[in-house]
Amino acid sequence: MDVATQILISGLTLGAIYAVSTIGLALIYGALNMLNMAQGGLLALGGYIAMWGMQAMGWPAPVAALAAMAAGTLAGGMIFVAAARPMLGGEGFETRIFIATIGIGLMLESVILKLFGPQPQAQSLKLEGGFMLGRVSLPLQNILIFVTALLMLVLVAGLLNRSRLGRAIRATSMNRDAAQLMGVPIRRIYLTILMLSGALAALSGIMISSMSGLLPNMGADPMLKAFIICVVAGLGNVPGAALTAFAIGMLEAVIQYIFGVQYAFAILLCLVIAVLIWRPQGVFGQKEVVRL
Amino acid sequence: MSLLEISGLEVAYGVQRVIRGISLNVAEGEFAALVGPNGHGKTTVLRAISGLARAKAGGIRLAGQPLTGLRPDRIVAAGVIHVPQGDLLFPGMSVLDNLRMGAYLPEAARDEAQRLDEIFTLLPKLRDRQSQIASTLSGGERRMVGIGRGLMAGGRILMLDEPSLGLAPIVIDQIYELVQALAKSGRTILVVEENAIRIADMADRMHLLDNGAIAWSGTGREFLSSPEIFATYLGG
Ligand SMILES: Nc1ncnc2c1ncn2[C@@H]1O[C@H](COP(=O)(O)OP(=O)(O)OP(=O)(O)O)[C@@H](O)[C@H]1O
Ligand SMILES: [Mg+2]
Repeated sequence: MDVATQILISGLTLGAIYAVSTIGLALIYGALNMLNMAQGGLLALGGYIAMWGMQAMGWPAPVAALAAMAAGTLAGGMIFVAAARPMLGGEGFETRIFIATIGIGLMLESVILKLFGPQPQAQSLKLEGGFMLGRVSLPLQNILIFVTALLMLVLVAGLLNRSRLGRAIRATSMNRDAAQLMGVPIRRIYLTILMLSGALAALSGIMISSMSGLLPNMGADPMLKAFIICVVAGLGNVPGAALTAFAIGMLEAVIQYIFGVQYAFAILLCLVIAVLIWRPQGVFGQKEVVRL
Repeated sequence: MSLLEISGLEVAYGVQRVIRGISLNVAEGEFAALVGPNGHGKTTVLRAISGLARAKAGGIRLAGQPLTGLRPDRIVAAGVIHVPQGDLLFPGMSVLDNLRMGAYLPEAARDEAQRLDEIFTLLPKLRDRQSQIASTLSGGERRMVGIGRGLMAGGRILMLDEPSLGLAPIVIDQIYELVQALAKSGRTILVVEENAIRIADMADRMHLLDNGAIAWSGTGREFLSSPEIFATYLGG
């Protein structure tokens, strides 16, 4: 019983962290057919800005978190303006933006390295303490992560399903040409999606670093996992990505408990490959939609 | 004065020139048809008008206002409605949400409820299927949603790309009855149709597209007795 509770807590926490960063990637892929390889850099950016805001500027935690998300928004917007927009509609957009965003991610990491140094640091934005659930301790930080993530998912779901902007985003993802014929300014939609995804990545970066600390390349593994989640869910499927994130988080917690942390990623990958052999288009994916 | 004026329009995909300098006018309230065999560039002309394809040369004007170089969303706002070939519905959205997307622009959104009502009166079948997901509709229902979605936008000219495509003869008749009713109500319409004979006795004016150029223009009646039609369709 205690073990199950322990696994549940760490699985839900991992799932929450993954979900927040993955829905951004899924939105971007769905609308632009773009794999944003700068995601890792955005995660680190969020983590470091939050720490810097509290340490160097003395901001209260919520202000530091908002500042980190603002920085992520700005960085996401710049990725669109500087890299994606000039390439849109050109030959081989998918490949070129893939390479370009790898470069942007590396640049972000180098700047962080230059400013903050290569040594691991602790995330200041973190709740200490917790309480006991039977004989299992439930850290407040885990609760904070879970509640924040849930709040974010509800906000994004509300945006996508209930607002005019959300309908325009879904329309653009389903059919670019048709969306334009309805009067949707798709470039502005792309920009909005990248900014939103930047903010979500920054938030996820704070969560990750509050659990495992800050490093300039702290985003590399989480980014890989986020892409795996996207592929397992079916590329571009946003609700599917959120659900899959929690499933993968739980699975990872179970594997970690049974086999140990060092094997978790490898075993997870094997399972993922098995899933993709069974359903190449992803668990929630449709058969490839032909775009005109 | 013509509502839609196209002069010397050229469109190319890469080095391949698909539209080679066509000029045609559609008058206010006119039911015009652009006909021609498969692959001769009919869709490309509509895509150039609505801004989805870039014109290499030539001018397109709506009520005197130049459209060339504008982004598609600006062209829709100016009043050009393009119901694309194959409908291009939003497959994961309900019929209602598809229709509401048609009224995306603020001006149309203001009259959304009223327009929805008009469309459900025109296409009663859609009223019962409002909540059905578009990807599960039959071909005929899909076409109706596509046209209804276009009508939601209002606009000054309605362009329909092959409204008969892939439908059974009886459904084609229904769709063209609808198009004729729209024309009678005073709408300006430009229909693209592969089967020229089908539309010749409905349209006020016919334009025959032959290899990216207008080979013939005139009334529907004249069209049926013109030799160019046979040259275009049979001569290849
Ligand atoms: N995106 C594109 N890239 C390259 N060539 C294209 C593209 N779209 C159309 N073409 C070519 O342009 C020519 C005209 O195509 P278009 O679709 O305009 O013809 P159409 O008259 O509408 O044909 P159909 O009756 O089959 O719909 C064709 O040779 C087609 O292969
Ligand atoms: Mg066509």
